[in-house]
Amino acid sequence: MNTSIVEVVNVAREVSWLPWAVQYFFLIGLSVGCFLLTLPWFVLRRPAWERASRLALLGALACGLTAPVALLADLHQPARFLNFYLHPNLGSWMAWGAFFIPLYLGGLALYAWLVLRPDLKRLADIGGRGAGIYRAFAYGGHDSLGATRIAAVLALAGAALVALYTGMEVMVVSARPLWDTPFLPVQFFITAVAGAIGLVLVLDRAIGDGRAAEGTHLLRLLAATQVLVLAVGAAWLLLGVTGLSPRHAEALAQVAPSAAWRITAVWAAGSALATLWLAVRHPEWRLAAGLIALHSAWMMRWTIFIGGQQIPKTSAGFYDYHLPLGQDGLLGIVGTAGLWIAVLILLISVLPWAGQRRAQA
Amino acid sequence: MSDDTLFQSRRAFLQALPAITAGVALPMNTASAAEGKHHWAMLVDVRKCIGCQACTVSCIMENAVPENSFRTIVSTYTVTQEVDGKTVAGTYVLPRLCNHCDNPPCVPVCPVNATFKRDDGIVVVDGYRCVGCAYCVQACPYDARFINHDTGKADKCTFCAHRVDAGLLPACVETCVGGARIFGDLNDPKGELRRRLDAAKEADAIKVLKPESGARPNVFYIGLDPRFQGRVEGQGALWRPSEHGA
Ligand code: SF4
Ligand code: SF4
Repeated sequence: MNTSIVEVVNVAREVSWLPWAVQYFFLIGLSVGCFLLTLPWFVLRRPAWERASRLALLGALACGLTAPVALLADLHQPARFLNFYLHPNLGSWMAWGAFFIPLYLGGLALYAWLVLRPDLKRLADIGGRGAGIYRAFAYGGHDSLGATRIAAVLALAGAALVALYTGMEVMVVSARPLWDTPFLPVQFFITAVAGAIGLVLVLDRAIGDGRAAEGTHLLRLLAATQVLVLAVGAAWLLLGVTGLSPRHAEALAQVAPSAAWRITAVWAAGSALATLWLAVRHPEWRLAAGLIALHSAWMMRWTIFIGGQQIPKTSAGFYDYHLPLGQDGLLGIVGTAGLWIAVLILLISVLPWAGQRRAQA
Repeated sequence: MSDDTLFQSRRAFLQALPAITAGVALPMNTASAAEGKHHWAMLVDVRKCIGCQACTVSCIMENAVPENSFRTIVSTYTVTQEVDGKTVAGTYVLPRLCNHCDNPPCVPVCPVNATFKRDDGIVVVDGYRCVGCAYCVQACPYDARFINHDTGKADKCTFCAHRVDAGLLPACVETCVGGARIFGDLNDPKGELRRRLDAAKEADAIKVLKPESGARPNVFYIGLDPRFQGRVEGQGALWRPSEHGA
């Protein structure tokens, strides 16, 4: 018996995690990834990593300071965040986020201050405008590896918890089979690290001397992330296609009939392959590899969040989504990007991020 | 008026009208959440629904639901199928609302405990506490929740808790033209809801939406076609509300 069902009247539920959420997950992921890239120089003192780690520190701070603004904007009324502290439900991953974010950002700020103290002092010693302020902030200007390591452990714990909660928060939503997979937190993390490497490569071209990748295995690391991205994607697909996991099969069945979803999947795999190829074969095109990795990290989150919410839980077909031009849509994306650039410019202007080279300049 | 007389369908309500008229002067012994002895639930007899959307409209009026948002709606489908070699087309209607689940996935995710299940089984949102994070909207397996554009907070069917607390029926039940919505107390063995459920259960006719979700709904259906029990396989809606308010 052939049956065809056409929905005539039904409600379309709107996307309720707005583009703000995509921006938050993108930026906080980049911040965590960048922070990890600061460790080889500032904590492990690998000289080849100095350029990359210093750029990564800028990235970690700029993204880390912008991300919570996007998150607050998604609450429609920013002061509501107080309720997270007044009435926390500790059974909810989102509630824990309210504690993990300050832990991470506090740790990151302390770490950044400790690692930049000697450079702040150098800047103060040169004299000129702001020397007094730099001297105050340098607070003696000691290069204390012990204290740095303690702050690094604190920030690392914060970073790990942020990576964990952002992944788990989405993974536990079993009402959405697409989100309900243990691969999701893994994929969030890998693409965040890949995006962070991409950001360092872009910053290297924009404000560095273009040599951040030298001797650091940065491109090899980028290639490794892309292999992992492809492997995780393949594992997800395999579980769905073979039906080994009914949940994955259900998720696949929801998206497979849609041409838009198929194009997105091919696009994502193609981007990963292109990044991999550029990173391995064409180090001279590392800017392109970096840009594609950044775009992939953003696209993955956009597809998961906005695309995922277009899959109805009970209705037929898909909910349409048209990016609104106002603050719930395009303005939110452009606004966060603008804020990020402003914060970055401010940091570049006031921080001795480049170390000795900048101080001597 | 005793709890037992909380009218369980429109017909029962009409039959009991004289009793209310006589009883208005008496202090009402209303349903109270604190007592914890009620377990409110709804039975939807799909066979009786005529798809008129009177419930949809009355809910909007009763609860000041913003334009293009819905706490309840009657999903309407055209089903074309071959019967005895002939192609026949018909309409299938399915009233949907919050299921006031016994194991509601919307509750544990709420970061600020703003959404909770009352002792009488009704799942509500504390509007003062809700931060509008929409985590509950994501977690509900039934797409029963939305963010109210006027308040920026989570919104959904409350079984008209304000009316139930006052001894009245939910607005949708009261306006249901076909008498398809029966509201009542699962703990009341003599109530119409319990009796209808028990009778239908014997015939194995009671179904809930998406039983595999583990949410344990308290909205039960008679005449629920299995093709509509989960996510409907078919062509998406021909008409859907447009963008929210200008
Ligand atoms: S139907 Fe959805 S909103 Fe209603 S109680 Fe169940 S999970 Fe919560
Ligand atoms: S939108 Fe409100 S009720 Fe829903 S999870 Fe967030 S705070 Fe809780």
